[in-house]
Amino acid sequence: MQSILIMASLRRGFMLSTCRKASNMVARPDKCALKAVLIDLSGTLHIEDTAVPGAQEALKKLRKASVAVKFVTNTTKESKRSLLERLQRLNFDVQEKEIFTSLSAARSLIEQKNHRPLLLVEDSALEDFNGIDTSQPNAVVIGLAPEHFNYQTLNKAFRMILDGAPLIAIHKARYYKRKDGLALGPGPFVTGLEYATDQKASVVGKPEKTFFIQALSDLGCSPSEAVMIGDDARDDVGGAQNAGMLGILVRSGKYREGDENKISPPPHLTCDSFPDAVEHILQNLL
Amino acid sequence: MRIRRSNMAAMGWPDCAKSLKGVILDLCGVLYDSGEGDGVAISGSAAAVKKLKESDLLLRFCTNETQATREKFVGKLQRLGFDISVSEVFPPAPAAIAVLKERGLRPHLLVHDGLLNEFDGVDKTNPNCVIIGDAAENFSYKNLNEAFTVLIGLANPVLFSLGQGRYYKETDGLKLDVGVYMKALEYACDLKAEVIGKPSSTFFQSVLNDMGLQPHEVLMIGDDLVNDVGGAQQCGMKGVQVRTGKYRPSDEKHPTVKADGTVDNLAQAVDMILSQRAH
Repeated sequence: MQSILIMASLRRGFMLSTCRKASNMVARPDKCALKAVLIDLSGTLHIEDTAVPGAQEALKKLRKASVAVKFVTNTTKESKRSLLERLQRLNFDVQEKEIFTSLSAARSLIEQKNHRPLLLVEDSALEDFNGIDTSQPNAVVIGLAPEHFNYQTLNKAFRMILDGAPLIAIHKARYYKRKDGLALGPGPFVTGLEYATDQKASVVGKPEKTFFIQALSDLGCSPSEAVMIGDDARDDVGGAQNAGMLGILVRSGKYREGDENKISPPPHLTCDSFPDAVEHILQNLL
Repeated sequence: MRIRRSNMAAMGWPDCAKSLKGVILDLCGVLYDSGEGDGVAISGSAAAVKKLKESDLLLRFCTNETQATREKFVGKLQRLGFDISVSEVFPPAPAAIAVLKERGLRPHLLVHDGLLNEFDGVDKTNPNCVIIGDAAENFSYKNLNEAFTVLIGLANPVLFSLGQGRYYKETDGLKLDVGVYMKALEYACDLKAEVIGKPSSTFFQSVLNDMGLQPHEVLMIGDDLVNDVGGAQQCGMKGVQVRTGKYRPSDEKHPTVKADGTVDNLAQAVDMILSQRAH
């Protein structure tokens, strides 16, 4: 009996010391062996063209463990190829097939419904829609596209939607982090158009459940066997947990003080950055 | 013929016209359609306004116009043939300025260039709130981002929206109105804006106060079902919608707002009002 108690307190001490902010950890109700880790990109692994310190090594460590890794992002400014190029430039060990974006999710929806979209996405993202007919558009697709969020273009989109075109939002992020501070994401403009037209957008990116399920679909595991790491409490962590996964919130990128209190249930863990999240996974979840 | 107050409130349109003491008219979509230059007067509206002024009814104009100062847009309406003066017109900007003074607020403005002069006497240094109006082309990503940055930098962010309309009609089609951008910033900052202008009851009440009349003695005529008609009804007035301006047939099946009456245009509304009163 005594040895059991000693083991229990040793294990508890071990867990507390490896989890720097123990008060931020929420216990898992049922322990499943972890099979997959989904990792957000912008704000979690890198901020624009700068890697998060220690992130490359942390990823290498994670790959040595027996978990599948996928990079999931709502970034709509860049095609998969350009995301991959940047990650490789920053010395991350990543393959193109491991990247799943909200653009991929949007393309599937467009193909499924046979839409001809008006694509309000950055030029650099257009290549992910190669082969899609965009003549005489009958649907509006909105991504993060500051140069299209001008009065004229939004009016054009508005009139199309009033005439019956469905509105597809690649995601509804409120804002994102740029070098010069926070900047408006597509969410506010989608919300504005929903109000103008009294229509609801179909959202394909995080935090939609279907996005996470689709991301895990070729990894052969269920959400309860997966964890998501990201800097956006609502879209990354809240969305993943709502899909049945665990969520780890990192205090980098767009994170702001108190974000962990904005979702219910709170994140499984809130920690400083990606390397800390990986440590936690390696020590506690495998 | 004297009518008891309880009966006046119960009477529908057009019978309620018998007991009216005042009429409030919306401007854009009722008197004229905006567009290139001064815009275009709506057929029959100038004559209708004249007839109202010749009657014993008190007349005021209540507008969410925020693309120009009062002097400028009243000048435009006069050029279009309307008998109208600045003191009869109630737009949101002056009401907003009064609120700023009352609460010691200094605004960051995201408004149409034409409205800036209204705010000449206002302290805009070190802003502690944001005011958005119908900024049209000024609703650029850059400008919206600036307004967003001011709001998220404040411990107590305050956003005033001069009106909350979804769209309005110009000669070249429907265009997004301030309400759309209000919703955008509300979503981005996770806050609720304060609306100054229609359909705020405080706004309608300030017009009624100026007329010295009770809500049940006044009729509002507008093209915007929710902001003109619905807003007036919330305040205790009767509201009639015209089928000009931003009117859409689906308005007549709106889930929450039912106009007391729907008429083709202002001319028809005024003819109906005056013929009720002639008996």
